[in-house]
Amino acid sequence: MDIKINKDATDLLSMVSSIAGEEPELLNARENEIYLKVSETGFKDISPSLAERKFSLIGLFCAEDFEKKEGFTLFYVFKQAGRAPALVLVREAVRGKKVTSVAEIFPSASWFEREVRDGFGLDFTGAFDTRRLFLHECYPEGFHPLQKAFKNGPIRPTETSGREYKFRQVKGEGVYQIPVGPVHAGIIEPGHFRFSVIGEPIFSLEIRLFYKHRGIEKLVEGKKPSECVALAEAVSGDESMANATGFCMAVEQVCGINIPERAERLRAIMLELERTYSLLGDLAGMAVDVGFALVASPFFMLREEVLRQNEKLTGSRFLRGMTIPGGLKKDVPDSLLKDLPAFLEKFSRAFESAYDRAISSSSLIDRFATTGIIKKELVSPLNLTGPLARASGYPADTRLDRPYGAYRDFAPEPSVRKRGDVLSRFEVKADEIRASAGLILRLAENFQQGPVFAESAEYDGYAGQSSGEISGSGATGYSLALVEAPRGQNLHWIYLKNGLVDRYKIRTASFCNWQAIEHAVIGNIVPDFPLINKSLNLSYAGTDL
Amino acid sequence: MNISFLLFALLNPLFALLAAPLYMALIRKVKAYAQGRRGPKLFQVYYDLRKLMQKEAVYSPTSSWIMRFTPYLNLSTLLVCSLFVPLVFVPEPAGGLGNIIVFLYLLALERFFTALGGLDAGSAFGGMGSSRSMSLAAVIEPTMVISFAALAFVLKSLNLHQMFALTAGTVLPISPTLVLVSISLFIILIVETGRLPVDNPATHLELTMINEAMILEQTGKNLALLELAHALKQFLLMGILINTILPVGLSTEIDAGKIAVSALLFLLKAGLLAIIIGLFESALAKMRLFRLPAFYVMAFFFSALTILIEVFA
Repeated sequence: MDIKINKDATDLLSMVSSIAGEEPELLNARENEIYLKVSETGFKDISPSLAERKFSLIGLFCAEDFEKKEGFTLFYVFKQAGRAPALVLVREAVRGKKVTSVAEIFPSASWFEREVRDGFGLDFTGAFDTRRLFLHECYPEGFHPLQKAFKNGPIRPTETSGREYKFRQVKGEGVYQIPVGPVHAGIIEPGHFRFSVIGEPIFSLEIRLFYKHRGIEKLVEGKKPSECVALAEAVSGDESMANATGFCMAVEQVCGINIPERAERLRAIMLELERTYSLLGDLAGMAVDVGFALVASPFFMLREEVLRQNEKLTGSRFLRGMTIPGGLKKDVPDSLLKDLPAFLEKFSRAFESAYDRAISSSSLIDRFATTGIIKKELVSPLNLTGPLARASGYPADTRLDRPYGAYRDFAPEPSVRKRGDVLSRFEVKADEIRASAGLILRLAENFQQGPVFAESAEYDGYAGQSSGEISGSGATGYSLALVEAPRGQNLHWIYLKNGLVDRYKIRTASFCNWQAIEHAVIGNIVPDFPLINKSLNLSYAGTDL
Repeated sequence: MNISFLLFALLNPLFALLAAPLYMALIRKVKAYAQGRRGPKLFQVYYDLRKLMQKEAVYSPTSSWIMRFTPYLNLSTLLVCSLFVPLVFVPEPAGGLGNIIVFLYLLALERFFTALGGLDAGSAFGGMGSSRSMSLAAVIEPTMVISFAALAFVLKSLNLHQMFALTAGTVLPISPTLVLVSISLFIILIVETGRLPVDNPATHLELTMINEAMILEQTGKNLALLELAHALKQFLLMGILINTILPVGLSTEIDAGKIAVSALLFLLKAGLLAIIIGLFESALAKMRLFRLPAFYVMAFFFSALTILIEVFA
């Protein structure tokens, strides 16, 4: 196989061969992604060395009957912060046999492994936590929906008595447990939080999510890529555009489609609009959670302005239904794009005055500063990404590290804070809103007319139709796409078999970032929990596919 | 018992009961305007009460008679309290009514049963709210005692009726120290009614709640009674503050015209105070729970200062 790889990737390859002590089999490679097949012993040698070299395990997923192989294939995606290439170690697992866990080396693997176990019934030995993850106890024993043998359909919940989920027990004089949720006093998504407190200070927190599993990964199986965009958009409401883009990028890489420049630029504009409205909601929410409605309301109003702008540009407040593998479903008229600079100028002025009002209030600063600190040391082991990592002094941003689409030419202004508290996250998010506005302004300049959907000639044999449909008969392959959603890095991996989706794995930033909250709250008091939670703004839906 | 008192006992509680919810709504409206919203219309609060009155009450299986009893007790306690604070006119003193010590104990009784009611449902939040409310009460109750003592020092009486008979008819406060006492009374008003920066009445975040957490499990008619009691408490504390700092127009005679003017003026003054409370609430973030005693100490300081001035000046 003739595989073209760039220099970074070549370096990575030689590094892996030197630590493995064997020549791993190169399965596939693309710009910035390398798939290496490793033996069991090779894997055992490589993984600790990768941890030493500050690689994060950014994804771990499984596929069944991958490339005509019987049984399960595990994909471990590693990435070094600041470097573009993703290293995917491919490991085979025989049905019914256990594989060794890497959770002791890469703590982020714990949830990944539990997810694989629930979905595929593959057990990991040596894991420190083997409880169920997304399939709660009400699902029958031996039910593993992502196995190909399972045909999607309703199932009957089973009795859970005697098999209840075991929470960590914290015992001692004066230690109390506070169970919160999954049903809350407000209209929010379900999540269970088990606090162990001594008076008001929090001693330990354990979270349990996955109360509304939708089976998205099963739903996409056997569908045409163009039919799956809506499902990708439904993963998490205010990351619709990011997830649609991630999905489409992965499909485009598999099919070798290069999308036109105009489509790339428009996608980037929409991604930044999404980031803007999403982060504005965060800033407002943080003010609401300290009861400061006067500070929150201007941010809410600005968010609404951006949503209306979205509707004007695309017909959808949440930018849905625009993206499709191959480009965009429809163009945005130049007349509307010309209005963007004026809108952004007005927006920026209003934003600065709202931000000044917030940051000049001592009562607000008093609540934000030193609350909910996330230490920098946690970022890489737990694979934390997005504003929360950048607020803890970790300057990783997929748009800069591994630029995609229009970000190759238009880099956002990075923003980093060191303290890792709620105030830092507030400041980083505000900076990112400013950076997004600046980026949209630059993207909207000198716009060239042109198609927004890839011509069929560019399709490497797959016929594109102007209706926005890739009717590829027989595209087979797999690819990984990383996008920077408002909450952090989202991972999309797709395996197409004969033009149909055989396996689609989405790992949103929230999936990993949720685990940070258990660390962030320790030593804080119970009434500060909602504020810490809001400052992280994690998606329940994005975690529970 | 005389005619004056009978009339007072009839008019004052009725007036308080009818007008009290309006000021909950007014504060909400002011806050909405400060945020650039329109907010629900003023009378919505009455419609909500009516709606709740028609709903059935749901009880947790672990609850006892306390949860059923608390709403009635709270409202009746506050109705008795409303006999202590002259709003429409100041009656001639009768029995122990108007005694501030009894008044404080009535408020303590209400607080005690609210906390018990919070514990009774057996939910985590009720218990948390009750525990917070009680620990804060340990700080605010001495402060209240000192503040009312300061009021008694300045107005030379332990009886609210006599105090306000003294202030009634004056346009400005009769002593400058009353301004200091009023600051204390304002803080007590904010704390006792669970407003920002102490507690957020608009929050849905159960983990931050104090007052709301204790009534989280109450439903239907019981909830309506508790909300009415809460509104009444706010209205009465507002009444004490207004009669102290801005007594103008308060009638001391039984005269239909004067009583009407007195009531009307009171509604206007309470409206002004509600606007101030609304703006005050809008301008602050909620304080960190452990910093709240610092806020109460301000009330304590101004009252203690008043007593020092009254004793030594």
